[in-house]
This record gives sequence, structure tokens and C-alpha cells, in this order.
Amino acid sequence: MENNELQKIWKNVDAEINQKSKYELSLLLTSKAKQTINKFVVIISISILASLGLLIYLAITSLNRQEDWIYLINNLTLGVITFISLFSGLLSWYKLQNNKYNQPLRNWLEVRINMLSKWLTGRFSRVYIYLIPFLYILTVLSIHVYFENKLFIEVLKTEESIFGLIIATPIGLFVSYFTVKRIRSYQLHNLEFLKDLYSRLSNME
Amino acid sequence: MKSTKEEFLEVLSNYQGILHKVSLVYFKNKSDREDNFQEIIYQLWKSYPKLQKKESIGSWIYAVSINTSISRIKKASRLKYREITPELPDKSNIADEIAMNESLGSLLNAIYNLDEINKSIMLLYLEEKSYDEIAEIIGISKSNVGVRINRAKEFLKQNLKYLNHGK
Repeated sequence: MENNELQKIWKNVDAEINQKSKYELSLLLTSKAKQTINKFVVIISISILASLGLLIYLAITSLNRQEDWIYLINNLTLGVITFISLFSGLLSWYKLQNNKYNQPLRNWLEVRINMLSKWLTGRFSRVYIYLIPFLYILTVLSIHVYFENKLFIEVLKTEESIFGLIIATPIGLFVSYFTVKRIRSYQLHNLEFLKDLYSRLSNME
Repeated sequence: MKSTKEEFLEVLSNYQGILHKVSLVYFKNKSDREDNFQEIIYQLWKSYPKLQKKESIGSWIYAVSINTSISRIKKASRLKYREITPELPDKSNIADEIAMNESLGSLLNAIYNLDEINKSIMLLYLEEKSYDEIAEIIGISKSNVGVRINRAKEFLKQNLKYLNHGK
């Protein structure tokens, strides 16, 4: 087989391609842009609504329990963490969506790897391990104490409440950790894939 | 005067072959190819305002198309950790939807056995791009491009021999 034989064979590919009209290309662009915007709007709306709902609930319950300092601290902590999580979560997602594709493959891989590494293996990558149980317990206590119509400290002294917490907490934590672990392992798998490609590009340099 | 969108569609219309070919070498399945085609259009549209050197439109389209395709392969979890090794190629045929000439079909099947990096390098080679252009699009040195092309060519030739021999 001659050296440029492969290129000759490849030339046949042009005959196999169905060229699209400008109108079809425009439709494809418009529908993709709409899909992306819708996805963005849905994710933003759900996150903001859920967080806003929680913040409103925390504000109302706190106003109704102004005399219970421990309950107020519990709600304030939960509110601050929710706000920070919402902000940093949306910012990370925005950064990932705006990853620039118009650069050499090697540079693109480098940027993507750095970004994912920072999130998945960086300094704050394990914060979720402590944050999940902390948030879970604060939320459960906030709801439970409010509807028990007792002071925070009194609820914690009730045998039923402690028993309920002991039973429900492992179940809630298992579901939360399981979900987060699945998402993380998918992302780590992606990171390994990108690192592998990058190392193969760099090997011969 | 043309609007930015009209100007973009004009460029896209003239260069759409690149998008089709990149999608073809990365995705066997027709619907995956179509999804990828659409995603590339969107990524090109997003980065179009930042395109400064209008004379290097081709390289820009290749870069965005390759990066987008690799990103989608990753998302679809169709991960292939393969180096160029003399393993036996996959004899399953290229997507049935394409009524393709036989030697081209065999060449595509052989390309599917390359890893993601070498697929893009070979595509650029088959498109008769210079080593300089390939080096610029992939982000590696010219000498590295040469070495990789020679290895991948040998690999493809061996694969083609095997595929044709088995018929």
C-alpha cells in the first residue's frame, strides 16, 4: 500500500456526507441554544427555589422562636451554609459550562484537568464528608424542634427525639453519601480519562 | 451588512464537512454523531466572537470539534484506554446507516481501533493538513506529530490488511 493510499481512500468520505442547508444549521443552533438555556434555567431555578424555600422557612421559624437562642444559632448556621453552598455550587457549574473549547487539544485538556482536580482532589474536596452530616442534623433538628413546640434543649432531653435521631440519621446519611459518592466517582473517572489522554500527549514531548 | 449569526452560518455552511468528519471518526452510532454535530455547532457559536484570525478558521473549527467530541465521549462513558498495539481490530461494520464504499468502510473501522488522540491526528493527516497545522491544533511538537503519524499509518495498514483478508 502506497504512503498516500490512505488519503486517497479517505477522499471518498466527502461523497458520503449529507451537507445541511443554512436553514437546517440555523435550526440546529437555535434548538441547541434553547436546550442549554432551558437546562440552565431549570437548574438555577430549582437550586434557588429550594434554597430560598429553606431560607424563608428558617427566617419564619426563627422569628417565631426568638426566645430560644440555641434554636436561633442552629437556624443561622444552617442559613449561612445554605447560602454559601448555593453560591459556590452555581459558580462552579457556570465555570464548567464556560470551559473554552477554542484552543489546542493539549491546552484544553490541561485547563479541564486543573479545574476538575481542584474540585475533586483539592484542599476543599473532602469538605462534603463533614458538611453532609452536619447539615443533615441541623435541618432535622430545626424541623423537629419547631413542630415539637418545645425549647431546643428540652427536645434534646426527650428520649423519643433522641431515639428518632439515632434511627433516622444513619438512613439519611447513607442516602446522601451514596448519591454524592456516585457523582464523585463519575467525575473522578472523567478526570482519570483526561489525565490519561494528557499524559499520552505529553509522553513523547 | 450581514449579522453575526448570518456570518457564522455562512462559515459553518462552508466548513460543515469538518464537523461531519470529526463526528464520524469519533462516533459509530448515527444518533451520537448527530448529537455531537449539534454540540459542536453550539460550541463554535459560543467561541465565534473571540475568533480573531479569520484566516485560520479551519484550524479553529478542527480544534473546537475535536475538543467537543472528546468531551462528549467522556460524558457518554465510552472510554477507551488503548495505545497503538498490534491487537486484532474489530470486524464489526461501520454504522449500517451509511451506504459507504468498501475501502472507506474498512478504513473507518480501522480508525475506530485507534485511541482518541491518534484518531484526531490521523483525521488531520487524512485531511492533508501540514505537520505544522496538526501540531498547532493538537498542541504538540511537529516532530511528535511525525512520529505519531508514522506509527498510526502502520497500524491502520496492518488493520486494513487484516480486515480485508477476513472477507
